[in-house]
Amino acid sequence: MDAGLNLALWVLRFAFLALLWIALALMARALLRDVRAASRDPAASLGRLVVVASSGQPAPGAVFALDAVTTLGRDLGSSVVVDDPYASAEHAVLTFRGRAWYVEDLRSTNGTQVNGAPVVGVTTLAYGDEIRIGDVRLRLERGRG
Amino acid sequence: MTAGRPPAERTWALAVVLVLAFGILAAGSSYWQVIRADELASSPTDAAVLAAARTVVRGKILDRDGRTLASSRRTADGTPYRVYADPALSHPVGYASALYGSAGLERAYTAALTGAPDGDPLTRFFAKFLPPADRRSDLQTSLSLPLQRLAVRLLGDDRGAVVMLDPRSGEVLVLASTPAFDASAIADPATATATFDALREDGASPLLDRAVLGRYVPGSAFKIVTAIAGLGSGSVSRETRFVEQPASEEDGLLVSGYRVRDGHHPFTGTTALDLVEATEVSCNIWYALAGLRTGGANLDTFARRLGFGSALPFDLPTAPSQLTNGGGPLPGGFLDDVELASAAYGQGEVLTTPLQMALVAAAVANGGELMEPRLVTALVDQGGRRTPIDPRSMGRILDASANTVLVEAMTRAVEGTSGRLFTGGARVPGILTAGKSGTAEIGGGGEPHSWFIGFAPADAPTVAIAVVVEGGGRGGTRAAPLAGRMLRAYLEAQP
Amino acid sequence: MTGFAGDLRAPALPGFPRPRPRPRELGLLVAVVVALAVGSLSLGLERTGRLEPADLPALALFAGGLLTAHGVLVLAGRRVDEILLPAAAFLGGIGLLVMERLPQDLLVQEVGPWTLGLGSLQLAWLGVALAVATAIAVALRSDRWLRLYKYTWAAGGLALLALTFVFGSEVNGSRLTLQVGPIGGQPSELLKVILVIFFAAYLAENRALLADLRVRLVGAITVPPLPYLAPIGAMLTLALGIVVVQRDLGAALLFYAVFLGLLFLATGRRTDVALGLVLFAAGFGLLALLFPHVQGRIAVWLDPWADPLGDGYQLIQALHAFARGGLVGTGLGAGLPEIGGRPPIPAVHTDFPLAAIGEELGMTGVAAVLAAYLVIVGRGLRIAAAARDDFRALLAAGLSLVVGVQAAIIAGGNLKLIPLTGITLPFVSYGGSSLLANAIVVGMLLALSDRGAAPLAPPRPPRLARLRRSPGGPS
Repeated sequence: MDAGLNLALWVLRFAFLALLWIALALMARALLRDVRAASRDPAASLGRLVVVASSGQPAPGAVFALDAVTTLGRDLGSSVVVDDPYASAEHAVLTFRGRAWYVEDLRSTNGTQVNGAPVVGVTTLAYGDEIRIGDVRLRLERGRG
Repeated sequence: MTAGRPPAERTWALAVVLVLAFGILAAGSSYWQVIRADELASSPTDAAVLAAARTVVRGKILDRDGRTLASSRRTADGTPYRVYADPALSHPVGYASALYGSAGLERAYTAALTGAPDGDPLTRFFAKFLPPADRRSDLQTSLSLPLQRLAVRLLGDDRGAVVMLDPRSGEVLVLASTPAFDASAIADPATATATFDALREDGASPLLDRAVLGRYVPGSAFKIVTAIAGLGSGSVSRETRFVEQPASEEDGLLVSGYRVRDGHHPFTGTTALDLVEATEVSCNIWYALAGLRTGGANLDTFARRLGFGSALPFDLPTAPSQLTNGGGPLPGGFLDDVELASAAYGQGEVLTTPLQMALVAAAVANGGELMEPRLVTALVDQGGRRTPIDPRSMGRILDASANTVLVEAMTRAVEGTSGRLFTGGARVPGILTAGKSGTAEIGGGGEPHSWFIGFAPADAPTVAIAVVVEGGGRGGTRAAPLAGRMLRAYLEAQP
Repeated sequence: MTGFAGDLRAPALPGFPRPRPRPRELGLLVAVVVALAVGSLSLGLERTGRLEPADLPALALFAGGLLTAHGVLVLAGRRVDEILLPAAAFLGGIGLLVMERLPQDLLVQEVGPWTLGLGSLQLAWLGVALAVATAIAVALRSDRWLRLYKYTWAAGGLALLALTFVFGSEVNGSRLTLQVGPIGGQPSELLKVILVIFFAAYLAENRALLADLRVRLVGAITVPPLPYLAPIGAMLTLALGIVVVQRDLGAALLFYAVFLGLLFLATGRRTDVALGLVLFAAGFGLLALLFPHVQGRIAVWLDPWADPLGDGYQLIQALHAFARGGLVGTGLGAGLPEIGGRPPIPAVHTDFPLAAIGEELGMTGVAAVLAAYLVIVGRGLRIAAAARDDFRALLAAGLSLVVGVQAAIIAGGNLKLIPLTGITLPFVSYGGSSLLANAIVVGMLLALSDRGAAPLAPPRPPRLARLRRSPGGPS
């Protein structure tokens, strides 16, 4: 085997290994950047729910960052636990689809209201609208970031 | 909300655990790919080494004077095969056959002979990137072709072994085992199968290298080990005498209901013997008492220093020599006093290889320091560059002053007025010879093994030897004269 | 139980999905494909002496498949994770190169008019896996049917296992494969996904109870209340029992490790994990005592050179392969010296692909593969951390663990750190069922990482209003 071929082979082999690690480094950089961004700005989210008034839990003034899907109710597994005597275990769900927010009442005992009007099935929600569950009032606001 | 924080926040802990686990995996990978890499990659069982061995022409194997012991030829269709200089060397040099694998040095040094990259890790690393060059090495051994031939000739039709080495460096000059076989017949594709089958069926086990793998009862030759242990631990000295020894000569010494018998020296009369005298006449009773006084623990310790109890550091695989089967309640593993006493004069359950006994002689010959035995002294690459393999010490067995006692004792055993009655055959005319013969009684009523270990010249030793002849009778009958001939041949050839 | 949290069924999307570019994913995919192309070139040069890829159609098909998957995700317009697919492609591509490098006749199957060898079969399975992963990523909207019907899932999984136990074909002493016509699969691979779903759902639902209603065991050590521990404990025991009887010890270890990890995530109690480890040690000791098969595996692990031509042969050959590789390897196609026309390591394409990588790509290559698994696990755990819902968090974490722990178990066995087990190296080993199961995992992780469409920026106030506003005021 001549030296030229041997050299070419080793150049390619080293290049392969180097490129593998470059791809990994790029992935790692993306990973770290994402983690750093999240920790730097934990409130970055699609939207926020601000507690305007409440009888107990959650405390008034509390702010919840919203994900694409947010569940509201008395059950402890809900994204936002509403501990109100008039709230059902699974009361409502807030979703973000396409480019808009939607709220759906999950056949709760006492119903859900948006800006005073009762929610039947699915209703669109705009920033600034107020959701009422029992005695708890929550306002939808824009997320930061 | 109870149950503490949501699960999402605990994922950090899991991430840490997994990173640690993968870190351990990376460490494991580096263990096999860096730390143990050279050892595995140059082992004769490695797939790459085996693949190279099948197609590559191996390097030559040379004796200490440069004579070719093994070389390659090609068959009509171009396949290489090996030829060997003399069947006398078949055991240490071994054979390399496409059908029957390899043995001996051909096997142990497959990587060097076939050119698998060898040397320090850095060289091997860079060698990867260069075009495959002829990296075969020739093996420069310490063997001596004429002396090896002589040893096999002297052993004749008897089964046995001869090991001769230079105690100053550990170089092995002769590693002979009979019956021998013709390695060329195995390596030659035309005759391989017939030869190998015949050898395998042969009841005398010609393929067995008795010099390194044969374990024999050593008989009185082992007394040197007992003396080493006694002197080294301070249990006995040159002047140690046992009052009960002369009286017991007639009926034997009673040890826990068993009689230790002696028979060789009624002419010493009623004198209690000291160490040198006891060695000269090979007094079993003195040595039994010395062994009991030294104790099993000391005997075991010093024997281990000499190499007993494990395979010896050597180019070829060796069988470990033992003092006892072990498992007994006494220190050192002996069953009882009787076994300890018997072991002290080389009976009992003691089993030694000829190489191990040669090392015993070599230790005494080298002033109490034992050098590692070796066959290969240098690797020579195809460009003529030599990479020597340096001698290594196995440790100091005895301090110099205690060692001189043993030298004196062993010299007397061959050259002394009484000694030469038993072992005179080992004497080299004109040169002070030292040694100890052994007559190893084996059960079953057969002839005992004939043993001799020794070195010469006694005042400045340059060669040590061990000889065993199976069923050869008394030590003085076969082994001692054979050793004497070998020593004489070696010393006469020296400038 | 009524429709609950995470139910995305209600609001229908207005109009068609809006495509969104995914530049980061595209960039990473290109980097991976370029690396694999150079690797293929090195293999080709080694084989033929000419500068050409070892198998250009395969490379092109693989790259095409990746770009198609990327395209589908772009068109679907969902903000799903952009690093998972490239990482999986990284591993799948290396696996493909290894399968291409090995003798193609190690595995041959007739599919219609074609006869496919090892490399082509792996490529075909990779294509199917890509399709499955993409489909799940795009189509999986509602996790209701995962969360609600957990007992159904569990029963289904066990039934599948039982079927394999009864009807399966025996390979190497274990009944792990179900043959349906020409296609054989290992249901235990699918079971690991089903189990994760079940564990996550159950633990999410009962998390508070398990963590707070403790029962005092001894001293300060408390355990979860038995009635709540029972269903999940029973499921685990059944699964372990069946795989142990089937002698699929790797799967048993995997299930148990994932269970412990999820339990810790759910309850946060370190004592639970410690107790779990103690139980594991006891169980393993019991297994070792009862089954000579297990003792044999442990003996080989401790000293493979005790039986160098029998049980220890495979592991010894693998260790030699690692040793020959060294730091940078021998180069693709240049290692694995053949013994009798076959690679020196038996079953290298299923059991020991890491050894082949170790020999030909060296420690650098092995470290790269390990790092890729860490990337996947890291992304998966990040998705779990970002989930607002317990079930989604546990599910994402469980899926990440399944990939990471499986890789660790088989890599550990290859490197003689733990006894060898028969499970596959995810994405790299040959095996249709393994690739499919891991594709489902990646697909589900992608679906779980959905952050919905980005919110629109607030509309800019009209020019006049901006002029009238005082400088430095809020905009």
